[in-house]
Amino acid sequence: MAALARLMVVGFIVLSAIYICLSLYSRAVRKGKLRAEWEEGAQDQPLEAFLEEGLEDYDKSLRRKLILSVYVIPVILVSVIIYLTNFA
Amino acid sequence: MLGILRWTFWISIVAIIASFFHYTLPQTDIVRISDTYESRENPTKYTLFWGPADIDASGAELPRDVFFIQTRRVDGDVMVYRNEDTGWGWPPYFKFDTSNLQAEAGDLKSTADAPRYVAVKHYGWRNEFMSIFPNAISVRLVAGPDGPKGIPWLNIIIIVLFLAVVYAIWVRWRRFRIARIDPTVEAIEDDLAGATGAVSGWLGSLRKK
Repeated sequence: MAALARLMVVGFIVLSAIYICLSLYSRAVRKGKLRAEWEEGAQDQPLEAFLEEGLEDYDKSLRRKLILSVYVIPVILVSVIIYLTNFA
Repeated sequence: MLGILRWTFWISIVAIIASFFHYTLPQTDIVRISDTYESRENPTKYTLFWGPADIDASGAELPRDVFFIQTRRVDGDVMVYRNEDTGWGWPPYFKFDTSNLQAEAGDLKSTADAPRYVAVKHYGWRNEFMSIFPNAISVRLVAGPDGPKGIPWLNIIIIVLFLAVVYAIWVRWRRFRIARIDPTVEAIEDDLAGATGAVSGWLGSLRKK
């Protein structure tokens, strides 16, 4: 069981690092897209307000929650491997 | 000289990565199981090539019983597999059914006169000098010495994914170097060349006087 605990701790740290990097990257991409959108559009509100509004929408979006699959997919993968190795 | 060093470096890197995959990824052998046994092992050297050891309260490694499967391959060579749990450790096969596998292997025993051929999926290396054995993952009865072994989809997927990641990193690094490092280095070189020219010009002007 010590090995399981070690796997979970190391896995959690590594996956958290990936999760944080991916979140920051995805948010930066969204910000760039919003800025491009603002420059193309009517520019009827200041850039700061437009970006803030857009990122708030992004924070609530499904796309952002999908990044949580960084944690889910490895657990599913391990379960599938355990089944295939031991019970298939 | 620098070229030789660079080639040696990259060939070593490729060899290390290739041997890592060769050790870790599953392979299938068609064999005839001749016998199975269990032996008390307490590997002190090359523990990397054995399963996780049981540890007593003081942290010392305890000797343990390890299952082995003795086989003869289709080409006539013998091959001995160990049969150990990988548990939650590396490599990530998550194998817990060692005793079941040993029962299956024992059931598939056959003689040279009436051979039954078995596909043994395993990872790892046999090395007589280091006394290390590949670890059997599964056994499966097959029709004859020709298999079928099956297409190693898992290996194909993992290696393709790995090469894709390496290529992605390499492309980004190259782009970064062309955009940022090369111009800077060139600017420094130009500066140096300019400075050298200035110095020799100044020396030349001194000589003229």
